[in-house]
Amino acid sequence: MVSSVLVRVNDVTKSFTTRGGESVLALSETTLEVREGEFLSLIGPSGCGKSTLLRMLAGLIEPTSGQITWAGGTPDKGGDIGFVFQEPVLLPWLNILDNVRFPLDSFGVDRRMGDEQAEQMLALVGLKDFGRALPKELSGGMRQRAAIARALVYKPRIVLMDEPFGALDLLTRDRMNDELLSIKAEVGATIVFVTHSVEEAAYLSDRVAVMSARPGRVRTIHEIDLPKTRSEAIKDLPAFHGWLSQLRKELK
Amino acid sequence: MRLHPRTLMIFITPAVLIGLWWGYVTLFKVPPFILPPPQMVGSELVRLFAGGTIWPHLGHTLGIIVAGFLLGTMGGLLLGLVLARLPGLERMIAPYLLFIQTAPKIALAPLFILWFGLGITSKIILVVSLVFFPVMIGTVLGLRSVSPAMLELSRILHLSQRQRFLRIELPAAVPEIFSGLKVGAVQATIGAILAEWLSGGTGLGYLMVFAGTTYKAPLLFAMVIVTALLGIAVYQALAQCEKWLLSWR
Repeated sequence: MVSSVLVRVNDVTKSFTTRGGESVLALSETTLEVREGEFLSLIGPSGCGKSTLLRMLAGLIEPTSGQITWAGGTPDKGGDIGFVFQEPVLLPWLNILDNVRFPLDSFGVDRRMGDEQAEQMLALVGLKDFGRALPKELSGGMRQRAAIARALVYKPRIVLMDEPFGALDLLTRDRMNDELLSIKAEVGATIVFVTHSVEEAAYLSDRVAVMSARPGRVRTIHEIDLPKTRSEAIKDLPAFHGWLSQLRKELK
Repeated sequence: MRLHPRTLMIFITPAVLIGLWWGYVTLFKVPPFILPPPQMVGSELVRLFAGGTIWPHLGHTLGIIVAGFLLGTMGGLLLGLVLARLPGLERMIAPYLLFIQTAPKIALAPLFILWFGLGITSKIILVVSLVFFPVMIGTVLGLRSVSPAMLELSRILHLSQRQRFLRIELPAAVPEIFSGLKVGAVQATIGAILAEWLSGGTGLGYLMVFAGTTYKAPLLFAMVIVTALLGIAVYQALAQCEKWLLSWR
């Protein structure tokens, strides 16, 4: 299946100026495509520019040079991009339902319709009965699910995730990975996912971009040719382990 | 009805204290103009409230507290918002603000009388000057405390400046603003009573001076109790507000 390109990152670089006035190259010339509907992981050691690349896709920072071209025009409205941070970043004064409805509220969606969509989204992430709870009353994993619901509730063109499960314990992380896959299957979103876990990348992704540091760049891009429908079972396949060792080798 | 031990303590502790007070006065035959026995202070309190003497004074003091607190809060919020928005301006005037903030503003009271007269204006202005700074600092700190990730979220969602302010920054700043308000409220009470001490013929502060200079020890003690209760009431009113507004914490 050949899917169309959603975003093309073309010879993009990013340099930052340090406090001392030196210019540091966070990302050297990078070219990459994100395809419609795919799950693309960016993996690499810290300092490889994976978060920088993600933030440029989100429009939070501008490239120093090069272009990012979007099929259908550069995102310029609130509903175009979904972003999930490493921390849930929920608003602690709103309950979970209000947090998930928050983007819809600010886009001016009618309250009742917003409630309906937010409730649906909560059910999808397994928080059906927790809409009235406050963020502080939920566990870290549940909070992150709410954050994912908030990023998906307005059906963005792309969902960008910056190590969303990095702060969770391993068991919760595995569960969240499976849930993320089923959510993605349900809503059919395009996801770009930053991680430094080789397992997570291989398990979740259609494609994995391996990045390396100093200077930050994309080294290789792999199509992960594992069965499309992922489940715990594929973790026993030799092919899966093949990918793990392949990716690990490249990360060294 | 079974009383919770803590509820019980609310009654037991004052009873014990009053008992000790009474015992000391009786045992050592302390003259009433030095320390009147509790029953004398009690009947003075009854006379003040039942006889109606206290109300105009209490009203006067409360009026100064409320007016000064509201004006000081508005000013503090406003300048706090401006300074949080313009860090450049803040850096420029912060040293001066710190200087005024640390100066004992009570010392300004005579100056305010000189400038604004013996009437109620100078009293309200003293209270305003006391409330203003803690509220302003609370506002600046609160607005600064918004996490960078929340601001990024507001950019991802393309919130307008107004939306960002009303839906993210302001609610996030409320806890800090409230700590400023609580400090301000306590200061306002002290300031109002002190201002009445210095000039004028009405108010709880005036009554205290009157009691002191005419050697009416029971009245003076009654007034100490009234002002202490007033201070607690003012603080509690705000604390309840805060509890209600910040139930999410």
